[in-house]
Amino acid sequence: MSNIIIVGMADYKVGKMPDKLMTVGLGSCIGVCIYDLQLQIAGMAHIMLPSSKEITKGNPAKFADTCIEMMLGDLYKLGAVKARLKAKMAGGAQMFSFAGKAPFLKIGERNAQAVGDEIKKTGIPMLAFDVGGTFGRTIHFDIKSGDLNIRTINHGEKVI
Amino acid sequence: MRFEALKEIGNIGSGNAATSLSSMLQTRIDMSVPQVWLIPLEKINLAMGDLDQTRVALYLKVEGDASGKAMFVLSEYSAQLIAKKLLYLPELPDIFNDEMAQSALKEAGNIMVSSFVIALSTFSGIPLQLSTPALAIDMIGALLDAVLLEGGQIDDNVLIIDTKLSAAEELEGKFLFIPDGGALDKLLGVFGI
Repeated sequence: MSNIIIVGMADYKVGKMPDKLMTVGLGSCIGVCIYDLQLQIAGMAHIMLPSSKEITKGNPAKFADTCIEMMLGDLYKLGAVKARLKAKMAGGAQMFSFAGKAPFLKIGERNAQAVGDEIKKTGIPMLAFDVGGTFGRTIHFDIKSGDLNIRTINHGEKVI
Repeated sequence: MRFEALKEIGNIGSGNAATSLSSMLQTRIDMSVPQVWLIPLEKINLAMGDLDQTRVALYLKVEGDASGKAMFVLSEYSAQLIAKKLLYLPELPDIFNDEMAQSALKEAGNIMVSSFVIALSTFSGIPLQLSTPALAIDMIGALLDAVLLEGGQIDDNVLIIDTKLSAAEELEGKFLFIPDGGALDKLLGVFGI
């Protein structure tokens, strides 16, 4: 029986085959999955902000840098082998635009950049990503196949 | 005590917003007692329901000494119904593509949030201004995270003053006010708390 493990905002979870990981309604946040296909384990994080260095207080799972570090730690505890790890991500949209005003912070774009950079630093390959746009995403990760399913309301569905 | 005071703020502001919606639509609007949520981010679905639901959201920033974010959230059907009534359309518009309908909704959102803010400002004596409205139609979770993160930072717990509005023909909406961190003390200060 496969369970669906739901990852909330500013949270991460790890799971084993045959479970699936899911996070609902990513706007400017990023959903990032790191997985070991041979061991059939994976982690999914719902990251809200680029860096814990600009803001010192708060739950470390909401920042790209600290969250990825914690999630990797949990994956290693379960026996993940670094050389086998792969990553995929989705999210980082710009949901609202105000007439005549450029979005000054572009938080979605910055989040995608930061998660990409953090993954790069770890040396884990980012196999696929689907980021940007102006629409929300709900994502499911199949730990068995390594497929990341991305569903939107008005922009179709895809698997990366 | 603080929660009670925040509920009262919700009552005063949302009551005014509901009245303005009522006069725009020429229909009776019922308003719930406001709920005040202080909720960790990862549990925000407890306050908002299934984060996957399609919602139409109007978002305005409230600026001034008691700044915050105001959102008027509608089901797709309710948004269609409001646009239809405002524009005297023969049938429900396609809210995703009909720019006139979107513009009418923005205007309605603008008037409602203005009423909320005027009530809040009059009551508290704190001058407040509003941004222009932005509209998006998407999963409520995605809309909410974008609003929460708009300032580029966020606390682990979010405070939401949440009032439900409803009317005949299954028209239903939610009016949310999310005060910024510093705004809370200013608003509560009015109550001497």
